[in-house]
Amino acid sequence: MTSFVSKLNLEDFSLWKKIEDHRVPLDFYLEITARCNNNCRHCFINLPEGDVEAQNKELTLAEISDIADQAVELGTMWCLLTGGEPLLREDFFEIYLALKKKGLLLSLFTNACLVTEEHIAFFKKYPPQYIEVSVYGISEEVYERVTRKPGSYANFRHGLDLLFESGIKIKLKTMALRSNFNELSEIAKFCREHSDSTFRFDPLLHLRYDQDPLRNNQIRQERLTSDEIVAIEKADEERSMALQNNCAHFIFSDNYRVDDDFLFHCGAGKSSFTVSYDGFFRLCFGLWHPDTIYNLRNGTLEEAWNHHIPKIRNIRSTNPEFLRICQNCPIVNLCLNCPAHAYLETGSMDAVVPYFCQVAHARATALEEAIKEKG
Amino acid sequence: MNEISVKNIYMCSEDVVAREIEGELIIVPLVAGIGDMDDELFTLNETGKLIWDCLDGKTSLLDIIENIQREYNADTDLIEEDVLGLVGELVRRGILIDKSTP
Repeated sequence: MTSFVSKLNLEDFSLWKKIEDHRVPLDFYLEITARCNNNCRHCFINLPEGDVEAQNKELTLAEISDIADQAVELGTMWCLLTGGEPLLREDFFEIYLALKKKGLLLSLFTNACLVTEEHIAFFKKYPPQYIEVSVYGISEEVYERVTRKPGSYANFRHGLDLLFESGIKIKLKTMALRSNFNELSEIAKFCREHSDSTFRFDPLLHLRYDQDPLRNNQIRQERLTSDEIVAIEKADEERSMALQNNCAHFIFSDNYRVDDDFLFHCGAGKSSFTVSYDGFFRLCFGLWHPDTIYNLRNGTLEEAWNHHIPKIRNIRSTNPEFLRICQNCPIVNLCLNCPAHAYLETGSMDAVVPYFCQVAHARATALEEAIKEKG
Repeated sequence: MNEISVKNIYMCSEDVVAREIEGELIIVPLVAGIGDMDDELFTLNETGKLIWDCLDGKTSLLDIIENIQREYNADTDLIEEDVLGLVGELVRRGILIDKSTP
């Protein structure tokens, strides 16, 4: 008997073929607040939980609903709810449900500290695609060294246990920091034991959206050296193999050449976008240069997607040093440098950032050695 | 159970959201329990999509079959088989509900 209905296998979905030759905003990050109950040393966005000024700037439920309607109209399928800590919003359930009822596939980033039985019952009824939780430490000392919030470890473990018991798909990740460096291997072990999804860790910290100099210094202090980053990536077999299998062919290609001076060669604004807690549209979550953002409170998503983005992606570099060093760099895929991060580091989107450069070259050397060792 | 009658009117359940992106129909479960897995999505084949577009919550299956027959000049028995097949499958999965059921 013919089956008319099939489970959608996303890899084979005929939509991908249809959109090969044009841009469709398939997914977006929605930062529903910049406020957070923690105060992590490395965080690029967090503002205090009780920051009334920040709270007053937050998009309302009606504004979020309107942006989501516009996104759905343009073809968006996925939405990632993030923050700050999204569960701090008193109207979190209403926001989540409003987005879900539009047919968006939702995921959530949370620190898990605020998760209650009520959240679990809600998520079980209206399941997200997944919930991703950051594991900054698996001891109270290390976790709270990062979060700088007494009592946060107990809350985190309680929330995480509730999530594990719920059967909701949980992904775990961590940031590799100076403050949790000595516990990283145990964090990785814990995460892999507790989640079937791929565990990821990120050692590349970028600076604050608000460019707060004091907080930026704290982030720089949390950065690992290039040698330390290489060492932890080498020690982690899964990560090491992923680098060897997925990045080697980029790095050791003699043909890598960019014959233009366009700034953007990445995927920013091609199939995704980000909306800040106060309504600013960005091509990607890190891109905050004032010339590249677009205030959705004064315009439409259609205008941002169809007219603003092409202008941004047309920006060219005029910095000879950047064009000489970065534009044709064959190890660009191992580097954090991009217009967004260069701007946060230097105030210019086309700048060479020595720290990123050191890390990328150390990674390339380590990767080359690992491949030689394997013969 | 799940007896499909051509006299009845069927409509999309409130537990799913049907969306069209670039002409591709996807059916997104809103609540758990629609698919075997919570994050499953569904799509329809060409025939299924054609029939789906007629399921407006106002027209009986009998009228839908007649409308399709008139438009495509196809064999009524075959159309009826396809319509009942699709509706049965969607009702079983909780994607369609029988509007006449209290």
